[in-house]
Amino acid sequence: MRYSWGMLVGGVRGALGLLLLAGFSPLWGADYVGSTVCRTCHPNIYAPFFRNPHYKSIASGSEKPENTGCESCHGPGQEHVAAGGGKATIPVAFSRLAPDKIVDACLRCHSQTLSRANIRRSEHTQRDIVCTNCHSIHSSPAPKFLLAKQQQSELCYGCHSSVRAQFSMPFKHRVNEGFIQCTDCHNPHGAFSATWNMAARPRMVDQAQGNEEPCLKCHIDKRGPFVFEHAAVRVDGCETCHSPHGSTNARLLKRPVVFTLCLECHNGFGNFGRRANGVPSPDASHNLADPRYQNCTTCHVRIHGSNSNSFFFR
Amino acid sequence: MTPMMGTASDFEERMPTRRQRSSEIGWLSPLLGIAFAAFLHAQTPVAPTTEPVGISRGENVSGYNVRQSFELGYRWHSVGGDDGMYRGTVNYGNGPRLLSSSLSVNSLEGHGGLFDNIQLNTLGLGNDPYESASLRVEKNRLYRYDLLWRSDAYYNPGLTITGGEHFLDTVRHLQDHDFTLFPQGSFKLFLGYSANTQTGPALTTIQQFDVRGDEFPLFANIRRSQHEYRLGGEIRLMGIRLNVLHGWVDFKDDTPVNLAAPSAGNNPDDLNTLTSLQRSEPYHGTSPYWRVALFRESKLWAVNGRFTYVAGHRAFVDDESSVGFNRIGTPISQQVITLGNAERPAMAANLTFSLFPSAWLTLTNQTSIGNIRMVGNSFYTQGTNGSFITPFNAFTYLGIRTIANSTDADLRLTKWFAVRAGYEYSARRIRSQESTSIPSGLIEQENGLQSGLLGLRIRPIKVLSILLDTEIGRADGPIYPVSQRNYQTFRGRIEYKQKSWRVAGYSRTDYNTNSDSLANFASHSRQYGADASWTPRNWFSIDASYNKLHLDTLGAINYFAQIGGAGAPQAVTNNQSYYVSNIHTGSLAARFSLRQRVDVSVGYSHVQDVGDNRPGGIIICDPPTGVLGGCAGFLTAGTLVPTYQTFPLRYLSPQGRISVRINEKLRWNAGYQNYGYHEDFSGLQNTSQNYRAHTGYSSVLWSF
Repeated sequence: MRYSWGMLVGGVRGALGLLLLAGFSPLWGADYVGSTVCRTCHPNIYAPFFRNPHYKSIASGSEKPENTGCESCHGPGQEHVAAGGGKATIPVAFSRLAPDKIVDACLRCHSQTLSRANIRRSEHTQRDIVCTNCHSIHSSPAPKFLLAKQQQSELCYGCHSSVRAQFSMPFKHRVNEGFIQCTDCHNPHGAFSATWNMAARPRMVDQAQGNEEPCLKCHIDKRGPFVFEHAAVRVDGCETCHSPHGSTNARLLKRPVVFTLCLECHNGFGNFGRRANGVPSPDASHNLADPRYQNCTTCHVRIHGSNSNSFFFR
Repeated sequence: MTPMMGTASDFEERMPTRRQRSSEIGWLSPLLGIAFAAFLHAQTPVAPTTEPVGISRGENVSGYNVRQSFELGYRWHSVGGDDGMYRGTVNYGNGPRLLSSSLSVNSLEGHGGLFDNIQLNTLGLGNDPYESASLRVEKNRLYRYDLLWRSDAYYNPGLTITGGEHFLDTVRHLQDHDFTLFPQGSFKLFLGYSANTQTGPALTTIQQFDVRGDEFPLFANIRRSQHEYRLGGEIRLMGIRLNVLHGWVDFKDDTPVNLAAPSAGNNPDDLNTLTSLQRSEPYHGTSPYWRVALFRESKLWAVNGRFTYVAGHRAFVDDESSVGFNRIGTPISQQVITLGNAERPAMAANLTFSLFPSAWLTLTNQTSIGNIRMVGNSFYTQGTNGSFITPFNAFTYLGIRTIANSTDADLRLTKWFAVRAGYEYSARRIRSQESTSIPSGLIEQENGLQSGLLGLRIRPIKVLSILLDTEIGRADGPIYPVSQRNYQTFRGRIEYKQKSWRVAGYSRTDYNTNSDSLANFASHSRQYGADASWTPRNWFSIDASYNKLHLDTLGAINYFAQIGGAGAPQAVTNNQSYYVSNIHTGSLAARFSLRQRVDVSVGYSHVQDVGDNRPGGIIICDPPTGVLGGCAGFLTAGTLVPTYQTFPLRYLSPQGRISVRINEKLRWNAGYQNYGYHEDFSGLQNTSQNYRAHTGYSSVLWSF
């Protein structure tokens, strides 16, 4: 009985589809039927679609059929309508597409932004994390960028659970509180290679003013230039001393206390440092047995750079 | 054509029959449930509820559909223990708040008058420490305007940094305005403005009156601001987009510093005192920049290039006068005047070329160049008791040039198996000079880094995916002992995803060894984790995750220490600093609904650094006796004894929330979250930062 009922419904839908095709096809290309045909069977998707950024293509009224409404993403619908529905007859059914084909489909329109210029070679794309993993076109709770989740951090934590653990530390940037977003520092669509660091890492980190670390977008007083730069900041970057996601240190340092962090570089060994004869180690006036000397930055106040003193005293 | 198609609004007007509405509710409920569960999963602080009430369809007014929601509530908290640590880590206070709000205005036909779409969202307005508002106004094909405003009340006593002498209680306001003309056109125009201000009281320190003098806390009234103006355009010619942006960044820091009251300094045993200090140090400058980019994407190839140039300039004056007694008790008055300027032109360029010869192969080559120079001079003079030293002009130079080239190949061998491989070479040259005379020869450092990577993607069945990556790098001249020299990374990830449940696991290791003839630095970072979520019904879900973050580093250190608590500090050479951290984090969250009217959620987050099972703290030598938890009597110059550092602590946070749907437009929410912070080591700087805090809120969410 159910089988027969299904056949009946399918037949009615097919007939309805042919009827609609007969009515609307002359207005479109041979294979395109127009979004109004789609809404007949997909009212829940079409009804709120005027709030969707993609509705622009319909509102425009001047786009070609292949760039308009439902069929701009899903391809020509004639066969789908004639078959009375079914995923198999949708030319571009995203749930059935290979990841690289999903990127192809979206980049037909969305390659026109500089921030997405590296999307094909991005870490995400190369790991098959593509547009529909993060964006939900028809049921997004975040209308601005059609994110698949309300909070951007939730979206990223979905895969980057180690990052979620780092943001659970006592001290962290306020991502969980919604004050800053992952995209304040990272470009999930692929960033240009970092020119402040060596090798290919960090790979997905966005840049401030074109070529500086994103930390400087907010921490404006650390940018300088200073007459006396702490070279470590400029050469290997802020992460030399800081853990930007989270730390047990109140200033997001990599060590809970200051002096061991400093001493690991300032040990005078080898051919390290600007002078290639070792990074200077503390002299005999520093009694490290005295807690007073364990807070290096009490005296070396301007540790990120100074204009007056090469030891960063003022 | 449009009239025949009908408009979405026309269609929607005919839509809302009772049956269809319930159908919509049924369709959306699982999504809302998942979103709600996800909200909990992150252990975000109990606060704004983003849950819409029922299906908010909004109201149609003058061709627009308008939807709004406001969540008004009251926050409370109580803290036992170190309030400063609570404020540094959580910082929610008491009082009424507009916890969240949203406004959405959409043109029904996509042809509004002045605009087609407005999106406004706010968070924490009223007096929350983290407030934000975002606004988007746009008219299709004509313009788009984005505003992001944020305010952060930052409190940080910094007890473990300088014993609280670098305390900060500042407010930072950030705003970004971006206006785009013809956002979907072949020609676009960009206008932008950003502001970043930081104001508020702080403490800082100064060492007076010589390098062996005492340290004195000073009061600083922080006043910093940065204003950035942007103007740019983009044009498409022959399929290539050329994007040009010019920006001007003005920065100024006019923070006055003074001594609040005469001070004996941090060391009460010496005679050093500071009776007055005034410092004025205006620091102003600009950083105009250019960015030129071009990019094109086609079926067979893609190219993009970017060139940026930033010309940073700062001018400064430091005028400081102080009066007190030096370390042998002699009255002293000192005046320091510094003035000069610093320049930092920075250039960076990237060129990326990708080939897609077939559907299964992608080849990418990228070249990047970065060149940054810092040149500055500083005129310095110091007067002591009216006698000025010979002023000197300090000149410094730091130049960093990095050139890198990488090639990657991504090969999709089958539908379920892909492999990628890459090689990168980067060369960096650092030139520097610090001099108090006429510049002479430059010191030069070079480093070459070669790295290779190999990755596999395996998807044997649709619901199972496996990712494996490894990267190995070798550098021949890293600049610092902690820099990368011989490093290797490995990442693995496996995910099994069904409709109602998902389970994933990952592993990541980062090893680096930077050996030198006399010293060694080794860093081992290992991370493991697993997480799972289960949503068997749209009214019930449960999420859990566990991660272990392990880090151990072993670095060579040299320092001086007073042996036996007396005498002159002696050199401790070839010592080692051994830091161990084993952080376990776990979270558990569950949510269930009762008859689609009441949502209840509970969660628990646990962070625990167990160290390596030694007593926590810093042990300067073994065995741990004497000063510094320390080594008096055992340490002699030249001994090789490791310096252990391990800091066990716990940071726990259970939370619960209830949300009751009163009617289609109204919902009542209440939440409670507990924070517990406990250090399992003797307090650094003789401080105890432990605390336990209760926070909560009650609110009413009104959507219409």
